Formats: sequence, structure tokens, C-alpha cells
Amino acid sequence: MSESQQDTRWQSQNPNPMAPRPSTFKAPDVLNYLCADCGAENGIKSGENIRCKECGHRVLYKPRTYRIVQFEAR
Amino acid sequence: MIDPLSPSSSKDHTTFHTLTRERAFRHPPSDRSDVPALDQLVAPHIESFNALLEGGTEDGRGLLAIGIEEVGEKVVFDGKENDGMPWGGKITYRIDKIAIGRPMVPEKDKLSVERRIFPSEARERLTSYRSRLTATIRWRYTGPDGESAEHEEIKDCGMLPIMVRSNRCNLRDLPATELIKRGDESSSFGGYFIVNGNEKIIRYLIVPRRHHPLNIYRPSFAKRGVSYTPYGCQIRCVRPDQSACTNTIHYLSNGGATLRFAWRKVEYMIPLMLILKALVNASDKEVFEGLIQGEYDNTFLTDRVELLLRGQKNWGLYTGTQCLDYLGEKFRVVLNVPEDWSNIQVGGFLLQKVVLVHLPSPRDKFRMLIFMLRKLYSLVSGATCADNPDSPQHHEVLLPGFLYGMIIKERFDDCLLAVKALIQKDLRENKAKDFKNPRYFTSVLSKTNWDIGNKLSYFLATGNLVSPTGLDLQQTSGYTIVAEKLNFYRYLSHFRCIHRGAFFAELKTTTVRKLLPESWGFLCPVHTPDGSPCGLLNHLSHTCKIVTASLDSSQIPALLSAHGMTQVFASTVDGRRMVVVQLDGRIIGWASPAKSKQLANFLRRQKTEGDSRVPLDMEIGYVPVTKGGQYPGLYLFTSRSRMMRPVTYLENGKVDHVGSFEQVYMDIACTPPEIEKGVSTHVELDPTSMLSVIANLTPFSDFNQSPRNMYQCQMGKQSMGTPSTAISKRTDNKMYRLQSGQTPVVRPDLHNHYGFDSFPNGTNAIVAVISYTGYDMEDAMILNKSAHERGFGYGTIYKSEIFDLASAPGSARRSKPTLHFGLGKDVKPEAPWRSFLSEDGLPHLGVKVKYGDPLCGYIDEIKGWTRVHKYKGDEVAYIDEVRLLGSDVGDSELQKVHIKLRIPRAAVIGDKFSSRHGQKGVCSQKYPTEDMPFTESGMQPDVIINPHAFPSRMTIGMFVESLAGKAGALHGIAQDATPFRFSDTDRPVDYFGEQLRMAGYNYYGNEPMYSGITGQEFSADIYIGLVYYQRLRHMVNDKFQVRTTGPVDPLTRQPVKGRKRAGGIRFGEMERDALIAHGTSFLLQDRLMNCSDYSTAWVCRTCGSLITLGFDDVTGDKTGRREYCRICDNTLIEDKIGEDDKKKVGMLVKGLNERKGEMDVVAVPYVFRYLCAEMACMGIKLNLTVT
Ligand SMILES: [Zn+2]
Repeated sequence: MSESQQDTRWQSQNPNPMAPRPSTFKAPDVLNYLCADCGAENGIKSGENIRCKECGHRVLYKPRTYRIVQFEAR
Repeated sequence: MIDPLSPSSSKDHTTFHTLTRERAFRHPPSDRSDVPALDQLVAPHIESFNALLEGGTEDGRGLLAIGIEEVGEKVVFDGKENDGMPWGGKITYRIDKIAIGRPMVPEKDKLSVERRIFPSEARERLTSYRSRLTATIRWRYTGPDGESAEHEEIKDCGMLPIMVRSNRCNLRDLPATELIKRGDESSSFGGYFIVNGNEKIIRYLIVPRRHHPLNIYRPSFAKRGVSYTPYGCQIRCVRPDQSACTNTIHYLSNGGATLRFAWRKVEYMIPLMLILKALVNASDKEVFEGLIQGEYDNTFLTDRVELLLRGQKNWGLYTGTQCLDYLGEKFRVVLNVPEDWSNIQVGGFLLQKVVLVHLPSPRDKFRMLIFMLRKLYSLVSGATCADNPDSPQHHEVLLPGFLYGMIIKERFDDCLLAVKALIQKDLRENKAKDFKNPRYFTSVLSKTNWDIGNKLSYFLATGNLVSPTGLDLQQTSGYTIVAEKLNFYRYLSHFRCIHRGAFFAELKTTTVRKLLPESWGFLCPVHTPDGSPCGLLNHLSHTCKIVTASLDSSQIPALLSAHGMTQVFASTVDGRRMVVVQLDGRIIGWASPAKSKQLANFLRRQKTEGDSRVPLDMEIGYVPVTKGGQYPGLYLFTSRSRMMRPVTYLENGKVDHVGSFEQVYMDIACTPPEIEKGVSTHVELDPTSMLSVIANLTPFSDFNQSPRNMYQCQMGKQSMGTPSTAISKRTDNKMYRLQSGQTPVVRPDLHNHYGFDSFPNGTNAIVAVISYTGYDMEDAMILNKSAHERGFGYGTIYKSEIFDLASAPGSARRSKPTLHFGLGKDVKPEAPWRSFLSEDGLPHLGVKVKYGDPLCGYIDEIKGWTRVHKYKGDEVAYIDEVRLLGSDVGDSELQKVHIKLRIPRAAVIGDKFSSRHGQKGVCSQKYPTEDMPFTESGMQPDVIINPHAFPSRMTIGMFVESLAGKAGALHGIAQDATPFRFSDTDRPVDYFGEQLRMAGYNYYGNEPMYSGITGQEFSADIYIGLVYYQRLRHMVNDKFQVRTTGPVDPLTRQPVKGRKRAGGIRFGEMERDALIAHGTSFLLQDRLMNCSDYSTAWVCRTCGSLITLGFDDVTGDKTGRREYCRICDNTLIEDKIGEDDKKKVGMLVKGLNERKGEMDVVAVPYVFRYLCAEMACMGIKLNLTVT
């Protein structure tokens, strides 16, 4: 079975698949934290004050990692 | 097609209200809160707090404003005598106003767009939800040249914790949509404070009913002094600012009576006659007539009154002025009044401050004291009985807001006194040169500590009351509790619980814990914990309300007079014919018993009809004349803090509110059929009104044995459920969550009323009652493995890990931080830490951590290295959330993070489950689905329980639930499980049996079943149905405790205790007895010696001592060490060698005789050696006999 054949078969079995992950995908250099109030992305460098640059809120969330987190399924 | 879930469509034919609920989830109401009934449940908390600032009295002032008025003016003199002013110039100062703002971002912060602070931020940042408290202080100087202008200063009094959703909270009156926007739950109802991220509640506390004198027989009264008797009459009086003062009249065997009160925690006794005279300048005749009330032939009474009057003669005080002067002289120092007051002024001040403080008028005080004394005499003579101080009839509730206000008021009083003390100190040390200069007072103000907010934070955080007066309360700690969000049941019941007081918890007698009939309808008879707080920690019934508003009772006296009440100032009142009429502890008139009953009925009619002069929440306590019963009279109460509940008034079919005092003498039928013509005046709205919210949620609880319902109230509160609908905004230390929660098929109506569908607390399970495989004995239950795999009882624990660099090792205190989150250059790119932490030193979200893995890393700027904070839990966890917490003003770099860990907890063998009928059990086996028994329709049970769980426990409600659940599931309907809906003529078996029959099932819920192993039909039909199961939070993973070897105590070398420290379980004396009884001495030796503190020791064969070991290095043929006894060996030498030889050097050769002082090795417990050493310290020698 050729590779393209495999692809079409996969697509017929999964009619609404997720877009394939681009092979060139790379995590951003700076992690942008999310504001707990307005949800804005904030690039906070080390030593910078902890507050949203959009609204001034004082709690930020770390977003989920871009790395593939995979566990053994048991 | 119209979207069935759009807010406009309203069709919902399901009995589960699925569409309505889903609609409410998607489109929460934008004009009101999600579940208004929940707001009602916590209203007393919030309203009592609101009363501090508004609507405290009729004129709309808050309780704090009244409180500071009560605190009044303070005066300091400089003591420099000048003409006309013997005490010198004076400063008069007072607090004029108190203002509490709303929680706001500090002014310093210029960047914040949203200036308001919301509770969710306080929770997330682990700070307190508080706002600024300020006081306006006014003072003026009065010197020889007259009075100066009044100066004013606004003093900052710190940040005061604010009750959530009160009138100082930014969430007040916000609709559900706004609440969600502000990071709260759609149904969050407030009523708590947030201190350091914890939700704290001031618990309701039972206190004696205000303004009602109680006759008390208490043997301890007799120990108070010479001629004291056990008889007393006690009244708890409450000032307009809700602070209280208790007065007790003691009956003395010499005919006298004294009044007892406490001032700053010190008790004082004053002869009652002195006070009666001082109050209104009463003549002996006036007192005599008042007490006798025409009963001249009652020699018991006349004798005592005569003695009372004669006793007064000994004091030599005849007029009111003399009495006041005398009292003033004695109490001048104690009361700390201004020096320029006359004794008479001081005496008047005393009477105003401590004697019947709820009555402003001295005449009213006098009348009330006379009444109390008459009541006391009737107790002594046996005409009436002693009142029961443990009865809810004589109880009211100490409300959180009122207590909070009392503490604030007292703190302000303290601050003013501290100012006075500081000025006086300055005067003594001659530092107050510019006493009259306004700037001097300002400087004193700045030197005193005015941080009241901090003091209140301490109170809320610890529950400890620091108070110089004690606030007329019996306990100093335990006022606050944490509102644990374990599940919604528990959270809600925190707001409805009411405690009897810490004092009663220590009492050895159990009388206070008894369930009294007087509590009917107010306190839930079912919902109290078992164990030590049983009966002391109660819960309010779900219909019970607490009066928080001040009611207008000004029209009542006129109204009653117009209807035939004899006015209070009538010249003669016949005590045998007339009973008293009191309104809030004030005598407003007299009436015959028949007349007073008429008046009571009249008032009740008026208040239910909505007469504006008679408030609905007024209590009309008509106590009839009885022989040896309660002291009769008509007692009206319109005060706050009383428990009231709605019932139907039969006369006009309208809703009446009844209180716990009046209820005792009322006839309230439980159900309409029970109404007795001519007897019943009221009927309950519903027989379930007497149950608390939680007790109401037990289905068919009227079919269960009562203790089982109590157990369910406990277990419902410890089941894994849905703690919150805003889990991502919460930072609780530990949260339990049931992933696969369902709405129960069988549930009472109140489940919908209180919106419990938002917080599922368990799972519907198919339950077969069968003895199968033997794994279901002794309350164990067998879980279907496939049910488990489908998610039955699957739960999660969220744990918070807070890491603050300021308290990390190596942090620089009080200077610029030297520790920074991040991974330094010393952490190589391939370092294993990097698979957990990113460059910022914080963990990747979703990463799995186990014991010892890093949670966050930080760089030490000075040392130049990177350190990590490690995960110390034993279980595998996942990083769920990472919060970067800023400072209050947002002006600091990252120093504190909150990491939420998610620990998956699938149900395992040993985990605890329970139905809603107090039937708990542990999972003993996850049985493969192919081996489970099955019915003819192919159904398999999710849970198997043993039939033996039922006969002794009599939880018939569970059978009914099983039946109802089965029928409900088959027909797709929710079943109403409200208790008291069925009767003997209308049996639930018939109702649900009929439903089952219609679905083609056995009428009684039994079904033929087949063994999953052999495939053969069982010889008996099996009772199988659907029961709602809760998974309890007690899980083996938190409980199991095993060790082979491990840490030992350094002193005794025995294994340590405690699961946390990898310790062992005590093998105690009783266990030892068992082994002895079995004759298993080898096992005994193994447990108590070999596996504990086994050790070997040298013992001397001669003297038997364990502690006299000595060593000698021996060279020669037997190279090595030689052990000898330091006692026996030396004595031997001394014996052998004479006195003279002793002086010769070299003659002292040890061990001349090898056989004496010989040592042996024995095995002894290490603690025994320790004991020997300890004994030796006291000069006691322990000898072992070695054979
Ligand atoms: Zn923002």
C-alpha cells in the first residue's frame, strides 16, 4: 500500500480530522502568560513586575506547554 | 428550528428539568442571582454585616455609628491646677465617624484599569479581601481661657476584612452573569470573609435570649458568698449597638438580694435595694407596694420584703442621692471616669452602663428590677418553676455581623484609652510641654497603634477573641471556621450550623446536648454530628429565619392600652389578678390572664393581616397561669437575632411567623389532617420544615431508622462531589472532585429548589442485594469492574503547592530580593530538570511529577546557583495550573507562585462508598463483568451489597429508593423522594410497584438472576434496583500504613508513630494481652523486641548493673578489649590491697580476680537501658539477676 493510499484511507475513516501538525512547528521563544482578568497575553521577562500589561491585573497564568506531553496509557 | 436551549424558549416537559438546567448553565440570569433560595439561607450572615453600616436603627444609622456614640468622649487633664479648674486644662476627644470603603486597588497603583478588587483575586493571590477603615477623631482643649475650636483628624485604621456580598463588597447584588465575569460561581452567595486566601465564617452561636429574665436554680450560686442561695434571676440585656451585659439578681438567705454584673471581666455584687433607691429615689413604701402588689396576706412575700427593707437600714443610706454618691465613690476608679465628675455623676454613669442596659429610663429599670425580684421570690416559694437555660425557648443567635461590630467598637475604645494612657505617661514624665497645642494631640495620635483592621484579620484567621471586657460571652476562642469547599453539602451547612458554645463542650453532663421539644422547627433533629460535638453543633431547619432588621414596635403599647391593657403607671396593681405585659424587656402594662390571652390573639390577627403597627416578626409569648409552671405573663419580642419560622395561621389562612419562645404555648398541627378543632391555631407549611437542608435531601428519610439519617447527614458532607463551578479560579489547599457526578433519579423537591443540580454529589448505580462470592460480607461491596472502567466513582484531588521565594532558604529579608524564579546557566540544556521546568523556572503545564521531581526552580543571585523546590508527595501528580502572583500594587517581580497539582484517584479496592441512607461500605473487589450475575433482561449490577446490611439497620428508605429509582429509570422520570408524602393507606410499594408493573417488571422489585460464573438461575429472586451512591473522601491511598523497617525515635529507638513519617501502628497493651493469652510467646518476642528497640547490653554478673561497663585494652595472648564492671572490679581491688598498698604506684592492677566483676551480654529493649540511666540520675539503682 502506497503512502497516499494510506492517507486517503485514514481520511475516509476519520471524516473530520485535525489538521496535520506542520513538521516545521516550533514553540515560541518567549512564553506569554495569560492575564487572569482580561485574558491578554503578556510577555513577562525575568525581573519584570507581575501584572497584566493590558489591564494591570496582578495574577497571571502560565499557559499549557507546547511540548508534547504523553503518558503511557494504562 | 428554534434552539431548545435559547433563553427565550421555555418548553421543558422532563421531570429532570434538563432543558431548564442546561439553559441556566448557558444563559445565567442577568437580572438576579442563579438560585435565590440559596441567598435566603445565608441572609442572616450578610444582613447582620450590612446592619453595621446602614439600617441599624429606625433612623438608618449603622450599628458602628451607635457603637462609637456609646464609647463616648474621653477626657484627659494636665493636672496643672488653675483658677476654676482644679484638675487643670483638659483635652476632650471622641470618634466622630467611622467609614469603611470598598476593596479597591491602592492609590499608588496607576496602571490598573479595574479599580475594584473582587473576591476571586483575594482567593487567587492568597490575600485578604479587605477595604480601608478610617475614623474621624475630633478633639478640643479646654483651658482657663475657655474652650478652643474643635480639631479634626481622619485616622487610617488599617484594612478591614469585608464580608463577601455584603454592602461593602464589590459583588453586592450582582446578577449571575456578572458574578461569572468576576471569577465567581453563578450561585455564589457570600456570607464569608477571605483571610489569606481562606474562606472564613463567623459561626452562629447560641446565647441567652435577650430582655427576658430567667429564673435559675444553680447550686454553684450558693458558693458565691455567705448567705447566698442557689436561686437567681438572670437577664441578658443588649444595648442598641448589640453589645450585651448580663445582670443577675441573687436571692440571699438573710432576706436580701444582690445584683451581679461584670465590668471588664471582673464581677461585682451590689445590694439590690441600693440600686432601687439610686435609680428613682424610691421610698421604702414604693418598693414595698411594688413587690407585694396587693398580696398583703402572702406572708412568704411580706416577710422577705420586710427583711429586704430592714437590711437596707444597715447602710445608713436613705435617699437616692446618698445611694448614688456612695456607688459613685466606690466605683470611681473602676469605671475610669473623668476626674472632675462628682460622685453622683459617677453613680448615675454606673447605673446607665451596667444595670439593665436595654432600658434608657431609670423608671423602666426600676420596674423591671422589681418584676425580676418578684419572679425570683415566686421561684423560691415554689409558686413557679425554674426556667431551663438550655431550652431554645430562652435562646437567640449571636450573629456574625453583630459580633464583628462589637469587636470593632471595643478596639476603638481601646485605641482611645491608649491615647489617654500615652498622654498621662507624657504628663508624668513631663514631656507634654505643649499640652494645649493641637499638634501635641496629633503627635500622640500618630504614636498609638490604630491598626484595627489587622486585629480583626487576626480574629478571623484564628477565631480568638482578644477582649478586655469579654463582650459578655463565655468563650475566648473558636468563633470562626473555615468554609471548606469539600462538596456543596458541606459548604452550605457551614452557613447553617449553630453552636451551643465551647464552654458546654467541656461539660461532663449531657443535659445541654439533649434534643428538646422546644427546638422543633428551629433546629434540625437529624443534622448533628455524632461524637464529641453531638447535640452542641446543630443546624438550622431550612425554613428557620433569623431576624436581623430592627422592627418598629413604637405603636404597640398604645395599641394594647386601647384594647384594655392596664397602663404601667396605674396606682395599684393586684398581683394575684394581673399578669405583666412586657415588650422587649420593658414593662408596658398589666392585664388579667384572660385579657392578656385576648390581647395575644388580637396582636396575632393584626400581624398576620399585615397591620403596619404590628410587625410580622414580632413574637407574642403568652405564658398562661399554671401551678408551679413558668412565670405567667404576656411577653412580646421585636428584637433582632431571634429565630423565627413561617407557619400557616388557621384563623385567616395567612402566613404567620412564630418564634421559639411563643411556640411552646402554641398548638401547631404538623399536617392539615392533624388539625384539632378548637385546639390547633396553626399548621405547618410542610412537615419537612423541621429538617435542615441536608437532612431534607435524604430520600424517603421517614422510612429509615433515625440514626441512619444522622449518618447520612455526616456522609453527605464528606462525599466526593462538585466543590465549585469555578474550579479553575480556586486555590484551596485540597479539593475533591467527582468526575462522573450525576443528578439523582430519586430526589426530594428541595433538590431543585436549592439548585443542587449544579453540584452533583454521586452516581446512580444499579444495586443488587445479594450475597455473592463472599466478597460482600461485613459491609463490603463488590464493584462491577466494567462500571469502574466506565468511570463509576472516578475522582480527582487538587492540591495546592504554594512557593514563596521570600520564605525560601537563602532569601534576603527586608531588602531587594536576591532569589529569582528561573533556571540559570549552571543547569545544562540536557539536565533532567529541564524536562519538568521551562526557562522561567516554572513547571510545564500537564507534566507528570512524582516524589522528588522539581516543581519550580530559582536562581540564587549571590551564590550564583540554581535550586529547585521538589514535589514531596508520594503519589503521582500532574501540573494542572501555575499562577504567577503579583503584589498588592503590582510593583514587584515574581516571588510567589501557586501550583495546582492534579492527582487522579480512580476508585480502588478499599475506597469507601455509601448510599444516602447511612449505609457505608468499602469496595472489596472489582469483579469482572463476565462473572457478575445478570437478570433476564441482561442487566448487571454496578454494585453488589450484602442482604445482611439491612435487618439490624432498618434502612427501609434505601429499599424504597431502589424501587423508585428502578421505576424512574425505566420510565425516564425523576422521582420525588420528599419524606412524609406516603402513608399506610398510600404505600410507596404500591405506587412504585405499579410503575414497575407497567414497565413489565416485577411489582416488588425482585428479579430472577443468573450466576455469572455457572450461568444457572439462582433459587431466589434478587432485589435489584437503582440507588444513588456517594463516593466518600476516605480513600485507602490516604490511609494505608505499612512498614518493615524505618525511622526510629532517637531517644527510645522505638519505631516512630504517624503515617506521615513512615511510622508504625502501635502494638499496645491490649494486643500484648491477646498474644499472651494465645501463648504465642515467640510472636510476642518478635513484635515487642526484635521488631522494635532490640539492643544488646553488657551486664555485670556480680552486681547486675547495666550501667557500669568499663573497657580495658589488653595486649598479649588475648589481644583486644576486656570489659569489666567498674563497681565490682574496684571494690575487689580495694578489698585485696590494704590501705598502705594503695599509695604505691603500679600496685593498682585491675582484674586480679577474673571471675568477679565479669560481664555478660544480654538482649534488652533499648528503652530499658534508657530507663536505667534515667533512674540512676535520681539515685535509684536497677539490678538484673543474671543466671
Ligand atoms: Zn489583563
